[in-house]
Amino acid sequence: MSEYPIIYEDDRSGSKPPVRADNPIKGLLFGVAGASGLGAIFAGLSTSDFVNHLDRQVHQIHCSFIPGAGAELGESGCRTVMMSPYSSLFRESMWGGLPISLWALAVFAYLIFRSTEFALRPSLRRKETLFLVAATGLPLMMSLIYGTLAAVKVGAMCKLCVGVYLASMTSFGLALAAHLKLPEEHGYDPSGPPYARWFGEGVLYVAVMTVLYMVAVPTSDKSLKGCGTLAKKDDPHGIMVPLSSGKGGTPAVAVLDPLCPACKAFEDRLDTSGLVGKLSLNAVLFPLDASCNWMVKESLHPGACAVSEAMLCDKDGADQILAWAFEHQEELRGEAAKDEAKLRRRLGEVFPKVKGCVGSAAIKNKVNKSLRWAVANALPVLTPQLFVGDRRVCDEDTDLGLEYTLAAMLADPGKSTGKGGKK
Amino acid sequence: MNGRYVGLLVGLLILPAILVTVWLRNAQARLDNAEQAASGVAIASASEDAYCSPQLKQILRRVAGACGLLEGGARGCKPTDAKNVAALSGDDFNALFKPLNHRASIIQFDADTGALDEPGQQLVEKAWSDQRGASFFFVVSRASPDGNAERNQELSQERAQAVLQHLETRFQDPDIRKEVGLLWLGEEFAQLTDEFCAWTRSRGGECTAKDINRSAFVAWIDCAI
Repeated sequence: MSEYPIIYEDDRSGSKPPVRADNPIKGLLFGVAGASGLGAIFAGLSTSDFVNHLDRQVHQIHCSFIPGAGAELGESGCRTVMMSPYSSLFRESMWGGLPISLWALAVFAYLIFRSTEFALRPSLRRKETLFLVAATGLPLMMSLIYGTLAAVKVGAMCKLCVGVYLASMTSFGLALAAHLKLPEEHGYDPSGPPYARWFGEGVLYVAVMTVLYMVAVPTSDKSLKGCGTLAKKDDPHGIMVPLSSGKGGTPAVAVLDPLCPACKAFEDRLDTSGLVGKLSLNAVLFPLDASCNWMVKESLHPGACAVSEAMLCDKDGADQILAWAFEHQEELRGEAAKDEAKLRRRLGEVFPKVKGCVGSAAIKNKVNKSLRWAVANALPVLTPQLFVGDRRVCDEDTDLGLEYTLAAMLADPGKSTGKGGKK
Repeated sequence: MNGRYVGLLVGLLILPAILVTVWLRNAQARLDNAEQAASGVAIASASEDAYCSPQLKQILRRVAGACGLLEGGARGCKPTDAKNVAALSGDDFNALFKPLNHRASIIQFDADTGALDEPGQQLVEKAWSDQRGASFFFVVSRASPDGNAERNQELSQERAQAVLQHLETRFQDPDIRKEVGLLWLGEEFAQLTDEFCAWTRSRGGECTAKDINRSAFVAWIDCAI
């Protein structure tokens, strides 16, 4: 790049020879490119995992510090983080939203370009490497923000994300080292570096990837139409439990099992979606526990019948019982599998209001009515399920697409719509 | 900007762009081909137990229809109705209930009374609260052959009504009238043998054929009829 101004190490006389980008500086700049490449791989894998889920199915998620390794189907920190509302932006406007990792991929790709381009130059100025320091500072800053969110808000750490954080730190560190290794410039400098153009190129990377994503993101009419309706939504037996988390406008029913991990995760997503306040949310209890539910051959969640009885015994305190059950799910299931009577006694001790009610014929009858509500509405035997108005939110829309589907259904609660997946 | 610069700029942009486009197109293709997620999931339904053979269902349907259950009422029916409509012998009628030994309870009464005692009330409540997926609750009341047939007919009706009344008082459930079917058999049809003494009863201790027929036989029927 001989057209670039020659660098002078100036003692204000302007007589020193130009400083060329020597091998150690080149090495550091290629190091920035390498670290950015690693960041791009981690971000790319994360984006790939996210995009895989846009088909509304359940897929493996890469969860390893070794790029490409550790694909897992079950629960993991990576899945928790991906499903959290912090993994993408504009979730109410687009199914799943725009993944943050896509922007990370674009930024890292740009950093590879910028650092490689600098490294291939015969000479460099500090003002130029200063831009690289600033550019690598962006992913570093985002890493700090998202790392804090993961630790504080989500409560889970994703190994791919940690890979991105480490790559960000490394590229910033190497860029800073390259910058500091170049001598100070004091003297003649006929033109400043084209910061605006370089910044524009970075923006171009992000913009192209964003537009491409928005154009090609998978769409489906099904989300907005919903997956069925409630045939008999009335509650003559008083089996619905009001949930205080949502006392907004549009009537909604959540079909829940208090000891079902998916219900807990769903409830968390619903709470963090910010849309729960627009719902007047009632729960219908559907324990997947063979001790009261004839529709399951084996108890998937032992003890769920007892906890459901407790919630129906004290509807005003049902929220607290549900929160407690969600918090102690694994322990309660284990306890009930060994001795359900012990769990019933414990419920009476923790929630004195339900003592004497749990286990009674009347309350067992009420749990049965709750299950029969599901029969009357021909619901699938699974939890959780969400109905907004009469419309059932499709199961595949209860995770990544929850905000989009909810927002669309709330905007048009009365009728189905045939519009595509973007608003 | 020279060619190398532009090539590097474009190349490093195109590579991730192509990858993301391919991933998105693949996801769209899978989405288009995807079956409904809930298609393999069972739908909530009333239970259908193994004893619900087509023959049993046919008999149940006839009896339930004759007693008004299928129309949603809780009308009782007398042995004449049961015999005429279901065309059953007493033994055949009792055979209907034998597979229900794990579900049925026998509520015993004192001689010459239709009053439900405390253990009887408790057992009725216990049986009722064990509905699970069943759709119909049968109350089949009888009288021992002591006394005259007309009085025994009245007595068995009182016993069936006592069970229904207790359920209504205790549970205040609007579905009771749609789900409970009463049959009062008096002494002239389908008398129980003392083998039924081994079933769940409201009273312990001695049990004779007379004791077991001063009763209301209650059971949820797990058949979708």
